Amino acid sequence: MLSKNVGIIGYGSAAYDKKPRQTIFGYLGEAAAAALRSAGITKEEVNGISVDATNLAPDTAVTTAEYFGMSVSWAYKSTAAGAGPLISVSNAVRAVEAGQADYVLCVGGGAQDVAAFKRRIAQFTSAIQDYLVPHGYGGPPGLFGIIQRKHMELYGTTREQFGRIAVDLRANARLNDAALLRGPMSLDDYLHAPLIADPLRLYDCVMPCSGAEAVVIGPLDRVPRGKGVRVLSARERHNHPVGEVAPVRGGWELFRDELFEEAGYAHKDMDFVQLYDDFPIMAAIQLEDLGFCKKGEIGAFLDGHRLTHDGSFPLNTGGGQLSCGQAGGSAGLIGLVEATRQLRGEGERRQVRDAQRGVVSGFGMISYGHGLSTSAVILEKA
Amino acid sequence: MSTPAYPQPAVTSTNRPLIEGWQRGELMLQHCEDCKQVIFFPRHNCPHCWSTKLAWQRSKGQGTIVSFARVYKHVSEPFGAEAPTILAEIDLTDGVGMMARVITSDVASIASGMRVELVPMPEAARYPLPTFQPAK
Repeated sequence: MLSKNVGIIGYGSAAYDKKPRQTIFGYLGEAAAAALRSAGITKEEVNGISVDATNLAPDTAVTTAEYFGMSVSWAYKSTAAGAGPLISVSNAVRAVEAGQADYVLCVGGGAQDVAAFKRRIAQFTSAIQDYLVPHGYGGPPGLFGIIQRKHMELYGTTREQFGRIAVDLRANARLNDAALLRGPMSLDDYLHAPLIADPLRLYDCVMPCSGAEAVVIGPLDRVPRGKGVRVLSARERHNHPVGEVAPVRGGWELFRDELFEEAGYAHKDMDFVQLYDDFPIMAAIQLEDLGFCKKGEIGAFLDGHRLTHDGSFPLNTGGGQLSCGQAGGSAGLIGLVEATRQLRGEGERRQVRDAQRGVVSGFGMISYGHGLSTSAVILEKA
Repeated sequence: MSTPAYPQPAVTSTNRPLIEGWQRGELMLQHCEDCKQVIFFPRHNCPHCWSTKLAWQRSKGQGTIVSFARVYKHVSEPFGAEAPTILAEIDLTDGVGMMARVITSDVASIASGMRVELVPMPEAARYPLPTFQPAK
């Protein structure tokens, strides 16, 4: 077990916007204040900070502490984009266990209009800038279109099957007042949406937006029973498979056995799953690589399940990024925050009945033909 | 016909032979003299064995489309005006995979498994990086 006594003791979200109404620090501060209120602790008690934001430069975790007037003994900024926040959180648990800090604020977010988003995407890494953008790289949909086509041609997966993810997540979002996209979506809407990067259409692609998410890490006995969340196990993997262009796997398959073994639970014991759903194809690959079905068999798996909060396989119970939007560094944290909400029994209209534990997974750091970073944690109500 | 203002790669001491080779209409690839692997994108160290003995060799410029996307929405100009464009994963006969644009007047005809070759000069000079077309 990663830690018996230290875990997530509070969470909070900033209100999301299609167009930014404030700077990134405005969003980070809104989520952080909500997380401290949820934990019932004061700013003076927090002496550790981690920040996940891919467009924070030239600022850092330390200048974020400066901005918020915090004196800290531990500061960390992730390097793994959408896979980063789960790594930040597991490192924060280790830091508190080791006595490097008493309470750590883990916050992630972004403030971006469409022009800022396009600029950020075209300069995401030097390999993208030099070897993909000059070819007419359409941003992540160009790459994930290639990966989805490969999955469809290798395994016979259909757009109708991928559509199950987008449609059921939208059904979850309709019970979440914080989701930016709450209109009804049918499978027909999904199948016939405008083309973005064929085979991908509009509802295959996450919407860039602005917002932030935060959690507080600290001793679980600081909060009432049932309000803390234990991190049973955590793993990460970067740059796997080495050098492969457009792989239909990501690295979760290398650590999934250890992840479940250390947690002491099997797949069937999970009450929900919160995946990094920037595209349904990547949610599908995560389910395969995490071992919920065999590689290539996600189509039949999706045919056999409903993914709503009250369905046979509750997935991204707040609607995920696909319906809430992708607010830069908050995207890798939104699943963890939703998992915490569910495990504390605060899921309101979308509460998974008797939720005791679940998996959260992360993905990101898109570079030359490949999202390089994967991560996952297993959580349990404490 | 004037050449559109495509985004250009940064030219460095590492990738200069690739960029200058393409200005002659050639695809130049690094070959590791120690582990014999072919490397793309250009590196200072072989990503397989970290050797710095990397020799540039001219590729035949032939390969097969493994998978591809027809890109309708772009994040950089001037591609929006040319949409849909083809972005493909190409398995080169040299033994390495790369991503590149495939030029075609018929985007519906592009399919996985299709053989591709380099766009020849002088049309090649329009494009900033080695660019392909369906094999004749």
